[in-house]
Amino acid sequence: MTFEPTIVGFLCNWCSYTGADLAGTSRIQYAPNVRVIRVMCSARIDPTFVLKALHDGADGVLICGCHPGDCHYSEGNYKMMRRYPLLKKLLADYGIEEDRVRLEWVSASEGQRFANIVNDMTERVRALGPSPVKMALARDMAER
Amino acid sequence: MDELKIGVYICNCGTNIAKVVDCDAVVEASSSLPGVAVAQPYQYMCSNPGQEMIVADIKEHGLNRVVVAACSPRMHEPTFRKALQKAGVNPYFLEMANIREQCSWVHHDRDTATEKAMALTRAAVLRVARHEPLERRSVDMCPNTLVLGGGISGMSGALDLADAGGKVYIVERENHLGGNVARVDLTAPYLDSAHDMLTERITRVVEHPNIDVLLESEVESVEGFVGNFQARIRSKVDGDVSDQTVDVGSVIVATGYKEFDAGRITHYGYGKLPNVITSFELEKMLRGGRLETKEGGAPQYVAIVHCVGSRNLEFHTYCSRVCCMTALKYAHEIKAAVPDCYVSDIYIDMHAFGKGHEDFYRRSSEVKTLFLMYEKNDYPVIRKAGPKDDCEMLIEVNEKLSGETIEIPADLVVLMVGMEARDDAEEVARLVNISCDKDRWFIESHPKLDPVATTTDGIFIAGACQYPKDIPDSVAQARAAAARILARIARGKLEVDAVFAEVDEDRCSGCRICNQLCPYAAIEYDGEKRRSHVISALCKACGACVAACPSSAITARHFTDAQIFAQIEGVLA
Repeated sequence: MTFEPTIVGFLCNWCSYTGADLAGTSRIQYAPNVRVIRVMCSARIDPTFVLKALHDGADGVLICGCHPGDCHYSEGNYKMMRRYPLLKKLLADYGIEEDRVRLEWVSASEGQRFANIVNDMTERVRALGPSPVKMALARDMAER
Repeated sequence: MDELKIGVYICNCGTNIAKVVDCDAVVEASSSLPGVAVAQPYQYMCSNPGQEMIVADIKEHGLNRVVVAACSPRMHEPTFRKALQKAGVNPYFLEMANIREQCSWVHHDRDTATEKAMALTRAAVLRVARHEPLERRSVDMCPNTLVLGGGISGMSGALDLADAGGKVYIVERENHLGGNVARVDLTAPYLDSAHDMLTERITRVVEHPNIDVLLESEVESVEGFVGNFQARIRSKVDGDVSDQTVDVGSVIVATGYKEFDAGRITHYGYGKLPNVITSFELEKMLRGGRLETKEGGAPQYVAIVHCVGSRNLEFHTYCSRVCCMTALKYAHEIKAAVPDCYVSDIYIDMHAFGKGHEDFYRRSSEVKTLFLMYEKNDYPVIRKAGPKDDCEMLIEVNEKLSGETIEIPADLVVLMVGMEARDDAEEVARLVNISCDKDRWFIESHPKLDPVATTTDGIFIAGACQYPKDIPDSVAQARAAAARILARIARGKLEVDAVFAEVDEDRCSGCRICNQLCPYAAIEYDGEKRRSHVISALCKACGACVAACPSSAITARHFTDAQIFAQIEGVLA
């Protein structure tokens, strides 16, 4: 059986979550691997959410917000954008591959784009295999 | 805190969810989750009996939390919150799992979709256990309205609102009101003058003390939330640029359509054969009172080709809804201008669905019009006539009803160009944060039950920017939007979400990072206490400060770390 990754998605309420809903109303089919958690704005996404998701067994984390310039709260997405490189640096230091955590902009009218991102990310994370965090924690448990 | 008693309801949504997700299995899996007292499937949770079921269970089992796994919370969260409130439970003790838009509608494999639905429902159960009771805030509803577009829809909505006493700003890009209707001569099916109809509207709008018409103007930005938007408008009248910001409570988007560019279809020779014209070019001739070919003579034969750019896979798959009746109208107008002219209608199907349309079709077939039916995608072929022919062009049609290939003469060919979304539809959608469908028409909140609202509260759509529409339907939608807005203005107050950020002053170090971060200047620093605090009335609950606080001293109500962590655990368990 091929490995099926579990990906946690953090989506802002105004653009990306609405865009994901639009994929639904348009009946656009995409990979079932992403489980979405809604936040009001991508700026609310504390890097610890990402770390927590990886710790708890996620193989990947997808963060989606409004396109730069289109944030419902004027500039929340820029705050996420500034936080993100630091988070990525930290993750790289932990040995977590580049493709496992991804930041994307999805507007309320981009249902197809959301579906494409989910499909693409699922494929990439599937190719990477299970998250090294998950594997390390499992080894740790076994050794105890 | 009393013992947790969670009720979990899995909606089948008819078959919308149940045909892909095994709802009984989701019920089964949810019933053993911590704190769950009741787990039930139901046909339609949003129906009255569905809501009553929640109310009855709350009373019977003493439920203190509710999870509804159904459609998007953007759709029915208010509905279920009301049900909780009715049963005397704080409405914020509800959590929804989106197993329709983000599950059953986008996946087809039953096992994986069911597994995902279970995970989303589990996350909702774990989250709701950590919910706190919140009180909603009441804000003033601004009685002013912004209308984007000064066409028949925008003006009709604006007049109802202004008549009721509210201030209306109509922002129109062109230097005149009237939109596409101003380009039309007579209207089907009663052959009334579009000009007369518009003159009445325009005169009333311009003279109305409550309406500000801003011509050659565009909306640059819309900020705020329902009841309290601020719109920045830029006017460029005769090259002079001026900006103004207006406060409005609601927005009606009535930006209309543009006609299909006939040049995109090469096989009709538009742009090459001089006497192949579009319906709007014919309207212009009719309004000018001169029907003639490019050579200046009265046409003896006029052929009208239907569905240009509409109802085919290459351009637009949809029907543009007004062209059939408009084409029939031309038969009358052409005959009136050139009485001995032969008119032929080359059509796919005759769509005559509106009030009076079928009778109009019958009357039109009596004025000696030749009807030739062609098969979709088997286009009629237009070519220049030879020197011996007594006409400009010849049209070859594979006539569907007779099964024969028929050649007819034409001096003037009228292409019935369909409607399409305006080029900047997506830009406008982003401006007011609404969605476009695959054809870039704006999407309504519910296709049947809520056709004028959008997914953004306070933003309404009217007219042909939503989908091709004739004048009566456009006006009806615009006036419906006005009625929706008036209902809110009449109440004067709006209930808004009880969600905002709070600073725990005991944990605040007074670093003031959050002060700079807040886009609404809603965080104030108290120099004496050396602590920051949130002015809740100004807070819009984005949560930027919460994630940025190095002391974790700020809590986002209803989006707390504990609640989101519980959701993460839930989706991954």
